[in-house]
Amino acid sequence: MTDATSEFFERISKPSARPPLGTVTGTVRIDLDRGKATEHYLLTIDKGNISVSSENVKADATMHTDKALFDKLARGEANAMASVLRGLIAGEGDPKLLVLIQRLFPGPPNARTARTTATQEARPA
Amino acid sequence: MSNDLVNVLDGNTFVVSDTRGDIEASPTDTTGLFSYDTRFLSEWVLTIDGKRLNPLSMDDLQYFETRFFLVPGTGTIYVNATLSVIRQRAVGLGFHEELTILNHDDKPVDISVRIDAGSDFADLFEIKDAKGKKGKYYHRIDKQHLLLGYERETFRRETSISSTAPAQFDEDGISFSLHIEPHSDWTTDLDVVTALLGWGETHAKPKYGREVRKARPDMHTSLETWLEAAPSVVTDWEPLRATYRRSLIDLAALRFSPPVSGGGSLPAAGLPWFMTIFGRDSILTSLQALPFAPELAATTIRSLAAWQGSRVDDFREEDPGRIVHELRYGETAAFEEQPHSPYYGNADATPLFVVLMDEYERWSGDTKLVQEHELEARAALAWIDEYADLQDNGYVSYQRRNEETGLENQCWKDSWDSISYRDGRLGAYPLATCELQGYAYDAKVRGARLARTVWKDPAYADQLDKQAADLKRRFNRDFWVADGQYYALALDGDGGQVDGLSSNIGHLLWSGIVDKSKAKAVAKHLMGPRLFSGWGVRTLAEGEGRFNPIGYHTGAVWPFDNSFIAWGLRRYGFKVEAARIAAGILDAADFFKGRLPEAFAGYERAFTAYPVEYPTACSPQAWSTGTPLLLLRTMLGLEPIGEHLVVDPALPNAIGHLALLDIPGRWGTIDAFGRGRVIVDAKPRLRPQLSDGPTGR
Repeated sequence: MTDATSEFFERISKPSARPPLGTVTGTVRIDLDRGKATEHYLLTIDKGNISVSSENVKADATMHTDKALFDKLARGEANAMASVLRGLIAGEGDPKLLVLIQRLFPGPPNARTARTTATQEARPA
Repeated sequence: MSNDLVNVLDGNTFVVSDTRGDIEASPTDTTGLFSYDTRFLSEWVLTIDGKRLNPLSMDDLQYFETRFFLVPGTGTIYVNATLSVIRQRAVGLGFHEELTILNHDDKPVDISVRIDAGSDFADLFEIKDAKGKKGKYYHRIDKQHLLLGYERETFRRETSISSTAPAQFDEDGISFSLHIEPHSDWTTDLDVVTALLGWGETHAKPKYGREVRKARPDMHTSLETWLEAAPSVVTDWEPLRATYRRSLIDLAALRFSPPVSGGGSLPAAGLPWFMTIFGRDSILTSLQALPFAPELAATTIRSLAAWQGSRVDDFREEDPGRIVHELRYGETAAFEEQPHSPYYGNADATPLFVVLMDEYERWSGDTKLVQEHELEARAALAWIDEYADLQDNGYVSYQRRNEETGLENQCWKDSWDSISYRDGRLGAYPLATCELQGYAYDAKVRGARLARTVWKDPAYADQLDKQAADLKRRFNRDFWVADGQYYALALDGDGGQVDGLSSNIGHLLWSGIVDKSKAKAVAKHLMGPRLFSGWGVRTLAEGEGRFNPIGYHTGAVWPFDNSFIAWGLRRYGFKVEAARIAAGILDAADFFKGRLPEAFAGYERAFTAYPVEYPTACSPQAWSTGTPLLLLRTMLGLEPIGEHLVVDPALPNAIGHLALLDIPGRWGTIDAFGRGRVIVDAKPRLRPQLSDGPTGR
């Protein structure tokens, strides 16, 4: 069975020609509760390039939630901001970094662009 | 909002009460203590010996502070009031209320004082609809606190109430049994603190009194500093000084520091219901205020960049590169009953984001900010071509993907009936409104300048310039209504012209997309009797099928719209016309005591002799507040060119002289002077006004 969380961290640490975080530098620790244990993922962001380790050290920002929700975020099935407002994710530290890392999550799997919507619905071929 | 309600606010926390300071909200009523789009108090009623108090007077000390003077009694007759009551309330992290009771008698008194307190924890979006709540209420009482709470699954909001003087707390409020000596007084400090649980603290209780500071604002000094830092206006036309001061104070009140801003402030959209990030409103207000408070633009750029779209999401209408429309923190956003987490449904904020970035750099010389946001600027420019061209015809259009809670019209004229043909029919989606093409053109031209001078990417600059030139050529061909000599309001879903004559053509002048050969005809329409009311340019021209002088976007006059039209007229050299618009709008501002409403009726000026206000929910509205500022810029003809500020004044004639001192920018600070010389048309007036024409000076 594929693990959406591991795939997510693998994907974001791949070098990219256009890193989604631009020139951001900083550290974010993501703590994921899995039963009684907590997994730690430390994102070290250097001018937009991300490396991931499992260190449990102090970071500029931390995000704490459970593994099941993070899997959903990693698959685009849950939205990070709405989850924060519902009290499902605790954030601490630099709020800007916390907002920026939510860019890394994909959109809903069934999303369509407005462009396809318009061509399909308003201008049938 | 009704006039007998009192507002105080700090950021997105505000209190709406009656003139006694009491809050007694019904599910559909709009009084209360609000923070982060949630009502944290819906009841806060003071009684002495079971009787309500009567208001004597009220001081609006600051926008965040009010003082109520009250006496016990019933009805309008005060029976030898020997007690008086002062409630001084300041908003910040909830509110702080200093309650003082004075005994003026020569005998001691024994009284019972009671504050009934309660909260419905309504979401701002639920108040109008009076929907039932899906969660559960709870409370906790100890010797020092009353805690009111609301819980729905993991969503929790709490209000904590405490008093410095000894009190008895119960689940419905606080009681004090008092003995006050003759000619003596009693006082207590009441703190009402709001908490969003899970917003930084999921598992623990809020630590009131320790981690959460007392609800005391720290904004007194910053208002003074704010006023001192702004340029000063020197003029012989007194109403302009008053309007300018009002604008600065209102703009200070509209400042909002989103968590991502690192402490900086941006202009929120309007008071009190729109104290949040709105992409379009924050950008346009920042543009208006650039010569006066450039730091608003910097914070707007940083905050909007942080929230820039990164993926395709139909519910939020998010796309990569798209700039946010509206961000909310309430229960309906949390449970995805509303898409504001955040919502991206607008088609203009994305190109305008690039426009603001360039204009900000031209004024401030802050290339660092432009360097830091190269990625976001490029993503915004890419959005125009990759996501906004819905019809594959090279134009920006919109059609909502969220058909339940998304916005139908995703341009600034966002009401359902705003985009119409001459005969009144509504345009079919997707719609490509004309001003969107102007903004896209301007974004490409300005993006090219930034690419060349800051990002050092001449190939990208050339590409953008080429695209801009091509867009301008096609636009002047496809949108030009030949038999009317103006630009169509939009192209509809079939590519046909939505041929209503509207104020949007003024924004085209501002963007620079108008062919020089067509500019004169556009200016003539803007100043002609069908569009120009004498006070300003109407949103839709008289004679159009849907024209209605009190139609929100179909005939009313919007001050902010006019300020950008005046800027556009100046851009194409129509100084006299720009001064006429400034004169009309500033005259109107004087009628509104310096605070321009969002919109006023589009009646002919001679018909009503005063501007008829359009009822709106919010006052002040950010871009109306910014309007006098942009009009000062257009009257003085301020334009940054390289390291210099060019001044080219064209004032309405009734302004003898106008000076703007200490204008901040890349030049340090500079002064601008102008003398009146533009004669604007004279018509019968109730009192001396700018548009009176020559005054002999």
